[in-house]
Amino acid sequence: MKARAFLSAELVDGRTVVGEMRSMAPLRLVPRRGGVVHLVSSVTAPLGGDDLELHVRVGPGAHLELRGVAATLALPGHRPGGSRSVVRVEVDEGGSLDHVPEPTVVTRRACHEAVFTADLAAGACLRTREVLVLGRVGEPPGTLVSTLDVRRDGPLVRQTTRIGDPATDGSPAGLAGMRVLGTEFLCWGADVPEPVSHDWWSLVPLARGGSLATALAPDAVTAERALAEARRAHPGSSDLLTRSRTRFR
Amino acid sequence: MDLAALMLADSRFPGGGHVHSGGLEEAVARKLVTDLPSLQCFLVGRLRTAGLLNAVFAAAATRGRFAELDVELDVRTPSPAQRAASRMQGRGIARAARKAWPSDRLSDLLKATPEPHHPIIVGALVGDPRAAAQVVAYHAVTGPATGAIRLLGLDPFGVNAIIANLQVDMETVAAQAEQHANTAPADLPAPSAPGLDLLAEAHDRHHREEVRLFVS
Amino acid sequence: MSADHVHPVNFDPTDPGHDHHADHHHHGAIRIGIGGPVGSGKTALTAALCRALGDSVNLAVVTNDIYTTEDADFLRKTGVLDVERIEAVQTGACPHTAIRDDITANLDAVERLEHRFPGLELVLIESGGDNLTAVFSRGLVERQIFVVDVAGGDKVPRKGGPGVTTADLLVINKTDLAPMVGADLGVMTADAHRMRGDLPVISQSLVETPDAPAVAEWVRAQIRALTTAG
Repeated sequence: MKARAFLSAELVDGRTVVGEMRSMAPLRLVPRRGGVVHLVSSVTAPLGGDDLELHVRVGPGAHLELRGVAATLALPGHRPGGSRSVVRVEVDEGGSLDHVPEPTVVTRRACHEAVFTADLAAGACLRTREVLVLGRVGEPPGTLVSTLDVRRDGPLVRQTTRIGDPATDGSPAGLAGMRVLGTEFLCWGADVPEPVSHDWWSLVPLARGGSLATALAPDAVTAERALAEARRAHPGSSDLLTRSRTRFR
Repeated sequence: MDLAALMLADSRFPGGGHVHSGGLEEAVARKLVTDLPSLQCFLVGRLRTAGLLNAVFAAAATRGRFAELDVELDVRTPSPAQRAASRMQGRGIARAARKAWPSDRLSDLLKATPEPHHPIIVGALVGDPRAAAQVVAYHAVTGPATGAIRLLGLDPFGVNAIIANLQVDMETVAAQAEQHANTAPADLPAPSAPGLDLLAEAHDRHHREEVRLFVS
Repeated sequence: MSADHVHPVNFDPTDPGHDHHADHHHHGAIRIGIGGPVGSGKTALTAALCRALGDSVNLAVVTNDIYTTEDADFLRKTGVLDVERIEAVQTGACPHTAIRDDITANLDAVERLEHRFPGLELVLIESGGDNLTAVFSRGLVERQIFVVDVAGGDKVPRKGGPGVTTADLLVINKTDLAPMVGADLGVMTADAHRMRGDLPVISQSLVETPDAPAVAEWVRAQIRALTTAG
């Protein structure tokens, strides 16, 4: 299944409104009040062979919250080849995007590639979270390759996480045998001045701006709690605090 | 392999590498590495993640474009402790290299980046992408392996055999890296190592609270 | 082999042509190493030198010993030296390597101090606990002091080793303990002179002379010599 969806948010009379919105199954966009849009997977996705792309544009000064409503299950499909889902984001000056999808569960035999790319104008804000779960309970994971790539006048962060190689999943260098990896990129006001760390999570200032929280945990609730704790140490994003919720077990 | 590559790979090269354990000391402190099998698990994971990243940048640095590579490696290294450790080792190699291998190429590198990242200066000095990748891939595991001998008193023959058994992994990493010698810096692979990132930051924090014997 | 065969490296300290340190001190602070076995009193001597010289010489310390916040607190409380003037080197559990074979981490520490304190004149580099074979690299220090102590046994100077035989100054420490541990101070100093030729030996007790005046005077003389030579 190949799908292309588009969403734009604009600031009109001091309020963010959805400008253009094009859903395409299985990517269904559902606008809520106050600049919040839910991304609802209308069928089980991504399946092997799926090629999904969501393009999001946030206009100058607009604030968009893009949220998932249920965990994504990366599943093997009937057709050969892996699945791929891309989220491509542009945020204009003074705009902000708060992108908090629900966790992605990498089921057995899944072969999925996820890409998140963002181009930020000067003074644009972005928060994007990713929680990857290695298989359903008791299930070994398939493979997943997930890339985070954010640019603002040059690159801010670029990293590709591979899941599904037992040698790295089990190594303290990789995922340390943990079932859940959470990462949250924040380019939202002031960055954390010094790294803040705990044994299994950290919030660090990146070399060229932006901050990154990383958490390894045995389950998604613990990972999201760790990310929330990391975010509390981030000076620029206090207005995001109240909005963090945990719905996934 | 040319002499510069052999010298740079030698653990006796006076570039300051011996004070870095690449996260091993923290892993030992948390009892994540306690014996030969757990050391092997640590080393394989390190080689396929941070080792690959460094190998790719070493191979690419044989072609120049030092300033761009510096930026691109920075944004692929989220942990400030790891960025600092990489630059510290690069600076140590630079100190030795100014005397051993003075060249316009080295001057160009140090002009673009006075404190170069470790794999980038190795690439600049070695010249051959495959050999440069091999040197840093080898470094990615020998530093922690030596650390394990010092901190855990592991049998050095056992540790040595683990390194020898990484032959295929190391060649795979070097071959992957070599393929990227001519890739534009912005398009180079960016393998993450979440565990190493967390170990590096925790090591740094613990050093401020108590004592760590290695810098990283 | 002919009688005038000259070994390319001359280990004989009594040879008048013995030049084991090139006086090519050009810029930055003068660096003096303080080495010696564990417990011989390196840290106490370093502290004594800081007290004796601190008012007249712009100095700092690099330590290769395991250095804790407790040590820093101790130094701050005793007022010997501002903790900002102390850099602790992490030696990767291999302190000999850090002062001899690969001196990178120590050079980095010296450079950090020079950067922090412009006009820095002297850096005392204290090694971690050594055995008798450990010496400082001449690439790291211009002069080195080797500290042994009476309680370590009066045969230590006789055993030799590069620390005892080639250090620019040998300090026999804790002389006040000699009667208690049954050490013969006369034998120790005689052995030391025999092993070292013309190189100086100072016996001292920091209990009797807490500011190590003889060693401090030797250090002042080295600073003068190296400054004019440079």
